[in-house]
Amino acid sequence: MATRCQFENNNEIGVFAKLTNAYCLVALGGAENFYSVFEAELADHIPVVKTSIAGTRLVGRITAGNKNGLLLPNSTTDQELLHIRNSLPDEVVVQRIDERLSALGNCIACNDYVALIHPDIDKETEELVADVLGVEVFRQSVAGNVLVGSYCTFTNQGGLVHPQTSIEDLDELSSLLQVPLVAGTVNRGSDVIGAGLVANDWAAFCGLDTTATELSVIESVFKLRDSQPSNIVNEMRNSLIDSMA
Amino acid sequence: MPLYNFKTINVVPTGKDFVDIVLSKTQRQTPTVVHNGWAIQRIRSFYMRKVKFTQSSWHDKLTKILDDFPKVDDVHPFYADLLNVLYDRDHYKLALGQLNMARNLIDKVSQDYVRLLKYGDSLYRCKQLKRAAMGRMCTIMKRQSASLAYLEQVRQHMSRLPSIDPNTRTLLVCGYPNVGKSSFMNRVTRADVDVQPYAFTTKSLFVGHTDYKYLRWQVIDTPGILDRPLEERNTIEMQSITALAHLRAAVLYILDISEQCGYTIAQQAALFHSIKPLFANKPLLVVANKTDVASVDSLSPADQALVREMVVEAAKTSNGGMLVGGEEEAELLTMSTLSMDGVMKVKTTACDRLLSMRVEVKLQGKRINDVVNRIHVAVPQARDNASRPPCIPPSVAAARALKDAGAAPARKTEKDMQEENGGAGVYSADLRKLYHLKDEAWKYDIMPEIRDGHNVFDFVDPDIEAKLEALEREEDALAAAAALEAEGMDEDHLTPEEAETLRDIRARKAKIIAQHRVKKSTANNQAVLPRRADRERKSTSTNMQASLERMGIDATAAMARARSRSQSRAGRKRTRSEAPEAMDVDAAPVKRIHSSKSRSMSRGRSLSTAAPRDGAGLKDAAQRNKAVKMSDKAQRKAGKLARRGEGDRHIPDLKPKHLMSGKSGIGKRDWR
Repeated sequence: MATRCQFENNNEIGVFAKLTNAYCLVALGGAENFYSVFEAELADHIPVVKTSIAGTRLVGRITAGNKNGLLLPNSTTDQELLHIRNSLPDEVVVQRIDERLSALGNCIACNDYVALIHPDIDKETEELVADVLGVEVFRQSVAGNVLVGSYCTFTNQGGLVHPQTSIEDLDELSSLLQVPLVAGTVNRGSDVIGAGLVANDWAAFCGLDTTATELSVIESVFKLRDSQPSNIVNEMRNSLIDSMA
Repeated sequence: MPLYNFKTINVVPTGKDFVDIVLSKTQRQTPTVVHNGWAIQRIRSFYMRKVKFTQSSWHDKLTKILDDFPKVDDVHPFYADLLNVLYDRDHYKLALGQLNMARNLIDKVSQDYVRLLKYGDSLYRCKQLKRAAMGRMCTIMKRQSASLAYLEQVRQHMSRLPSIDPNTRTLLVCGYPNVGKSSFMNRVTRADVDVQPYAFTTKSLFVGHTDYKYLRWQVIDTPGILDRPLEERNTIEMQSITALAHLRAAVLYILDISEQCGYTIAQQAALFHSIKPLFANKPLLVVANKTDVASVDSLSPADQALVREMVVEAAKTSNGGMLVGGEEEAELLTMSTLSMDGVMKVKTTACDRLLSMRVEVKLQGKRINDVVNRIHVAVPQARDNASRPPCIPPSVAAARALKDAGAAPARKTEKDMQEENGGAGVYSADLRKLYHLKDEAWKYDIMPEIRDGHNVFDFVDPDIEAKLEALEREEDALAAAAALEAEGMDEDHLTPEEAETLRDIRARKAKIIAQHRVKKSTANNQAVLPRRADRERKSTSTNMQASLERMGIDATAAMARARSRSQSRAGRKRTRSEAPEAMDVDAAPVKRIHSSKSRSMSRGRSLSTAAPRDGAGLKDAAQRNKAVKMSDKAQRKAGKLARRGEGDRHIPDLKPKHLMSGKSGIGKRDWR
């Protein structure tokens, strides 16, 4: 089930939240409204943790993680690390890494089995990603963008990538990731998918500007509420063509 | 994205107001004080400025009006026709044309009077010229009062037009008056259109919006149309005709089968056939309304035949005159806007028909290539045998089942807590509430951050116990090994002398190690002293002696040599002159060395550098002479020019000002 929400009047909620199958990190805000959107949906199943990272609220963009682990940038403070460590279950490995490209969320996109990383990321970091997150790692770009984390979002069920990705690239990426993929937008035509959308295997959250068409594409490709990706080419095809072309 | 927004046109003032506005603006924004005593040029420019300012105010305001109003030739044909129907295209164009003309005339008047003002020869004349110029401009504008009043009315009406987007997905409802068009509109959209039981309740176009298939649909309610020739139609009907003619929409032709509207089915069929050309190439549905009063089956056979004919005709028109699929497939839709029967089916059928038609057109266009990747679902090719199942906690399915059953308990969220405890900014959430710790009681323990000037977290290591244990084990093993080694060496066979040396060696070794450790521990904090300042490393004779002796070398000779050298360097202390004890005749007479150099070098002050030896570096006297000659020659040129050397490029003041300037011309005075 996909939910629309905003963080302090900002639609780029992927910047302020990180959602995985085992936990959810949410930025500390002035009010509890944003946190409660996630809490209401997820808190019965996984821990929803309010935290800052390196004193900033850009929780989603500077961390990377899945159900096995969580990677934090070097600038994370000791207290934040302790807070996260205390809040997450013991099965989740929390690791602070020294990486020059410290916006890990922008440079790493992953589900529980596969990760795409920025082509310029360190060799050591690549190994850490493989070890801590327990994934196969591929150096890739999405539609010519090296910031793979910003321009795609995928779970174990499916994924949404940059709208300009060609069909060949889509097929290639899909075979790498082993999940169905669709090129699309969020937030009324925004191509930064990672910033506009956070998803896991049973829930998704996107910016308040997201249109009904975009939302239905998201629900179909992430298989939320029993919908299937094939809906996009069958039932929704006409609506999509008419709204986009 | 409203493409056509007529709501932002500025108010058009009446002719009289317009004159007042511009003249008071001139009065406020130009200088008002002028004096008779001013230079005539200043007076002229004072009045010219007034005339020019007034002209530019008129010009700007008129240009704004002309730009604000839509040009009939530029807008979408639907709006162009609507403007024609509502405001009379000729009248509209004429009014704007007149304003344009007035603008040009005002420019011309200003130009003429500014030219005349150049020749104004007194304040009075200039003022009269200005008055005349402004008077003429105002007269020109006063003559436009009618146009301005008309345009203001048009503006007010246009700002109330519904914002219809001519290019979006549209359902167009049409039919005879009172057949239930507005009722249908009220049923499918949230527009609250007035519905009354008399004809022509709806006098203009109305817009509502509805959602279907994730898309937004525009529904346009039109006024009723009567069956008469186009020339006889009134403005209200013409709006419907305009919409039908220009909007590429799905048309719903509403038919009142109960005939309660006052028109028989035959009349309604006749209207349908007479406006049929307007439906060409649009999805067209014939909808029988008011089924709650009469059903289709209860109609007379003649009426049924008429309805059937319309339905088939509708199917043909929307397919460009060709009937696809046979007459049986052309379906009559029935609905009752009163009981809501069939209303949704009518809406979905119309939307589907229009959508498929629009998609068909778009698929032939070029822009489809840009989005073709977005209607493609990439399905993965299996690259290995690993299974990658989704990880959904079992509680999720349970919660969803509970929710679907409607039995999910409402969770008390942080937001609820916030509202209860004073709202955002007052409520401070408990961050530690949800910690997962071994012992619940640890949750609120205070963790030390800094201790003894050290960051505690730098020393936190989850494996510290294991590491410590390993380290201790290693240390024990080493100690044991060292003990074993020490035992194995016996010093019994050493002579006392050798034992002494061994002790010395060990003591010295220990000292070296200790010194090294001290040095190492302070290595980063200690500035490196220059050898000169370091007492230990300073090269003094005592240090040399000590170090040589430490190495077991006899240092006497070295010391003696060092002493003797240092003496020679320092200069010999004058010894007491000894009287010759005895005249030694054999002694060679001491050669008195005297050189003229020493005299020449005797100066009041010491020289900082020794002068070069004469002829140093030269082989013999001949070469020296040559060198002297060459140096003389090199200096000759510089000497002639009174230069200090070859680097002297000084240019003296050849004509000193104080000598060369003065009031006297060519020497007529006999004194200076």
